[in-house]
Amino acid sequence: MAKFRTKPINSITHLFIYALTFLLLWEWLRPIPVVTNTAEIHLFVWFAFFSTVLIYIRVPFWLTIPTLMMASIYGLHIIFYEGSFFSREGGWETVKLFSSEAWYNFGLIFSRDFAYLTDPFRTFLFFLLLALICYLLYYWIFQTRRIFFFLLSTIIYITVLDTFTPVDASTAIIRIVIIGFFMLTLLHMLKIQEEERALGKRGSSFISPAWMYTLILMILAATFVGVIAPKPDPQWSDPVPAMRTLVLGEGSGTGSGVRRVGYGENDERLGGGFVQDNNVVFSAEVEEASYWRGESKHEYTGKGWISDPSYVESESVFEDEVDYYMFEELAVLEERTVSIVMEEGVGFSHLFYPGQLKQLDRDSLTYLSGSEEGNNESIQFNTDTVNGRVQAEGEEDITLTSYDLVYDDPTFPIETLREGSEEDPTEIQELYLQLPDDLPDRVVELAEEIVEDEDNRYDKAVAVEQYFSRNGFEYQTTDVPVPDEDEDYVDQFLFETQVGYCDNYSTSMAVLLRALDIPTRWVKGFTAGEEIEETENDRTIYEVANGNAHSWVEVYFPEVGWVPFEPTQGFDNYADFEEEEIDIDVDSEQNNLEDPERPDTGMDEDLLGDLDEGMESETDTEVSGGSDENWIDFSQFLTLKSLLISLVTLVMVMVIYEKQNRLQNHYFIWHYRFMGNDQRYLTAYQRLLWILENEGLPRGEGETLREYAKRMDLALNSQAMSKLTKTYEKVYYGGYKPDGDWEERQKDWEEIVKSLNS
Amino acid sequence: MRNRPEPSVVKHPHVHRLIENVEKVVVGKSREIELSLIALLSGGHVLLEDVPGVGKTMMVRAMAKSIGAEFKRIQFTPDLLPSDVTGVSVFSQKTMEFQFRPGPVMTNIVLADEINRTSPKTQAALLEALEEGSVTTDGETRVLPDPFLVMATQNPIEYGGTYPLPEAQLDRFLFKFKIGYPSKSEELEVLNRVESRHPIEELQSVLSLEDILEMKKEVKETFVNENVKQYIINIVNATRQHHAVFLGASPRASIALMKAGQAYAYMQGRDYVLPDDIKYLAPFALQHRMILNSDAKLSNATNERVVYDVVEQVHIPTGKETAR
Repeated sequence: MAKFRTKPINSITHLFIYALTFLLLWEWLRPIPVVTNTAEIHLFVWFAFFSTVLIYIRVPFWLTIPTLMMASIYGLHIIFYEGSFFSREGGWETVKLFSSEAWYNFGLIFSRDFAYLTDPFRTFLFFLLLALICYLLYYWIFQTRRIFFFLLSTIIYITVLDTFTPVDASTAIIRIVIIGFFMLTLLHMLKIQEEERALGKRGSSFISPAWMYTLILMILAATFVGVIAPKPDPQWSDPVPAMRTLVLGEGSGTGSGVRRVGYGENDERLGGGFVQDNNVVFSAEVEEASYWRGESKHEYTGKGWISDPSYVESESVFEDEVDYYMFEELAVLEERTVSIVMEEGVGFSHLFYPGQLKQLDRDSLTYLSGSEEGNNESIQFNTDTVNGRVQAEGEEDITLTSYDLVYDDPTFPIETLREGSEEDPTEIQELYLQLPDDLPDRVVELAEEIVEDEDNRYDKAVAVEQYFSRNGFEYQTTDVPVPDEDEDYVDQFLFETQVGYCDNYSTSMAVLLRALDIPTRWVKGFTAGEEIEETENDRTIYEVANGNAHSWVEVYFPEVGWVPFEPTQGFDNYADFEEEEIDIDVDSEQNNLEDPERPDTGMDEDLLGDLDEGMESETDTEVSGGSDENWIDFSQFLTLKSLLISLVTLVMVMVIYEKQNRLQNHYFIWHYRFMGNDQRYLTAYQRLLWILENEGLPRGEGETLREYAKRMDLALNSQAMSKLTKTYEKVYYGGYKPDGDWEERQKDWEEIVKSLNS
Repeated sequence: MRNRPEPSVVKHPHVHRLIENVEKVVVGKSREIELSLIALLSGGHVLLEDVPGVGKTMMVRAMAKSIGAEFKRIQFTPDLLPSDVTGVSVFSQKTMEFQFRPGPVMTNIVLADEINRTSPKTQAALLEALEEGSVTTDGETRVLPDPFLVMATQNPIEYGGTYPLPEAQLDRFLFKFKIGYPSKSEELEVLNRVESRHPIEELQSVLSLEDILEMKKEVKETFVNENVKQYIINIVNATRQHHAVFLGASPRASIALMKAGQAYAYMQGRDYVLPDDIKYLAPFALQHRMILNSDAKLSNATNERVVYDVVEQVHIPTGKETAR
């Protein structure tokens, strides 16, 4: 309440808080050597300390500024120049050098060539910044009594550094939280005391030892619990790789020991890091984002993937027929088209297609035969019936440059996947359950452990798919080892390194599922790419770069076909899985069996009531589907609708909480406006006392109404309370019947309540 | 020391005139005049603990003159006898009967100077007059005139050659307060006023004794709400329970406080008593009625401070309780 702010009073507590903010400032400086190549960070810490002290002891400005100036020049001397500062030559030399440097840099600033500022000058600016921050901190503590903003920015700063840079802030965050708690509570206590003093209730500012001990104990206990409490793994996959993909255009690829990311041919030996390459491979105009499939591989060697292609000539590729089938009758298919334009200089002779390829449009097909532009007659397409690679053959080497495709975009009904048969045809079993003989047993054991609570193929596949993001695996493109001769690629990733990129994740998932006798294959291609623009007819143009090279897994479901899964952290599966819409009647009956009230989603707090109702349909299906997978289906809570509803609810709750007094007061004004009369004069006045107390302006125990009224009028800058009180005294102590008093005093009554609201 | 409440603006016209009149003689002592007036109107008496020469006599004389009352002064000395106070029967040769010669106490306003310098016996004679409003000599009870106000002064007790008043006697005074030294500017004003002649000589009465009697009657009719009575009781009780107090205030203190409250409310032109009145008067009415324990005395607590402490803590009924 700004009305009660008085002149700032300094105390030992303030000094203590100031010291704490200095520690926070230190936390800002600590990570700098890690993220930059600043070596002498202690100099800056000392400088910050020095300016903190100077500002605290209130050295006059004409002294502070030159002193800090000298201190920063001394700091510059230590960092950049040689010799003793205190020898005549050293110090003077530095000053001279620095002044010419400063002159030069000022010129740069005025010509806006900020990039050319010299290092010493930049360092000087940093010193300046530190001094300013120290002053700002002083101002925050001693003048405005607000430090939360600084604390919040410190936390954001540290967490961002921790997330995106090598800085490890796991202890820093604990320190910050402890310091922050102390600061906030102490400042708050001081603020309360000041308000009390302004109201004349307290003589001096003093925090009792009992409070201090309680505070310390509480903070330590809270921190201790916070540190030792078991923490659940992130419920969402680590967003950082995805963000990096988005922001930096990074990705992953089937870099089999190669140093540059991209779509390669040889996957016999996987592993090793790679560097980014953002050269565009092709752009595609398509209705819906989807992964671009190049081919799959079916034999895992322990080091990588190989395949045994079986090509047939696809004569009918232009007539709605490709000799490669991914989906069976139970998958819901929708026919879509796509136009792909390869980038110049990219030499692929096979097609990339989303979903299941159906037809290639002959008219739009362009390609280079050798270095000549080819015509349609001299080209023939061969399809690998096992792996789905559709390869163009011609007299010379073919390089495809653009083509339009018709494909089937599948949707997989989850219930069908769960309840479908698990009897695989023998030819599938032969090809896709292969595992190397020397696969370590612990891989099989791990696979069984992961799915021990699951009873159907779909849930098992999802369990394995999610296993990595729930168990501390890290997405990383550098520093990924290639397995030695006696090591297994999957075993190494699962049990030793636990860091890697798509190949590691997809291969591991494929192998783990095969260990459970679920047929899988390893697919390579590109991720959807970067969205470039939307065209008029609701189609979107995506640009796919080398960095989008990717690999994933397809799992076989009898009668449905090959369903793609995405185990790699930070990538989204573009395949559509459909929760069957269950009819309400059936649904409620089914629900009643399990829970008459409401599904046990762990969110049934009253606060979330609205939210919950809004999402009834989703949660219901979830329960009927199987309750072990709440965490998987959690993503379904994140629909735009529910997000909006929860956001609105949250904001409303916050507003109501924040404004509850205001609302209440408005209610009383309204109430007494209509219901007020002389008989109610007493209750109206008593209500006013209640409201004032509610607003943090209680009457002291031994304070008479008159004294209280005087104090309130002083605080609220009015006369109303004294007038009201006089009438109240007459009625309450004097035993007079009110006669027209309410009418006379109603304005005063409202004036007080309104001034409290303003 | 907490900021003392200021005396409120006097509103009753009689009272206003009276105080104005007294202030022609006494400079800057409106609060003390007001308190004395409360004592006069509520039939109580005042104990002043003061050093000599601060204007006690002037104040009392001015008051007596303003209301046209008889005024007498008794200088208490160690050899003063009870009969010197109350009066004595002497044998008249002419009528062959004992004739009562009324003592100085038989008057409207008495200034009993240095009451603690006389023997307890004489003190007792005066104090009977205070409480009963009558004196008994030679087995005959004689009613004292009305109004009757005793302003007793005593030297600060540390002075030698004194007989401190026992607690039971102190209880009989409505108020105890100090007049105290005037401020520099007030003292200058005093000098200016008495430079040529003393203003008391020219003081005219502004009220009659009948006015005072009428006012006394009206004071008794001032309404005291149950809650205010409860408040009085709470305060008095709190003095008994205060940790620094050995002996708290008596029920007589409650009565005194209420009566004083009535007079004070009346003087402000109000016909009902407010907790404010009680709170303001409590220190003057209670401080001489309690004894602190030795711990408190050692830690320099004073009676006055304890009473302030008490009134700051005692709950004041405001009727808000019912709103909850």
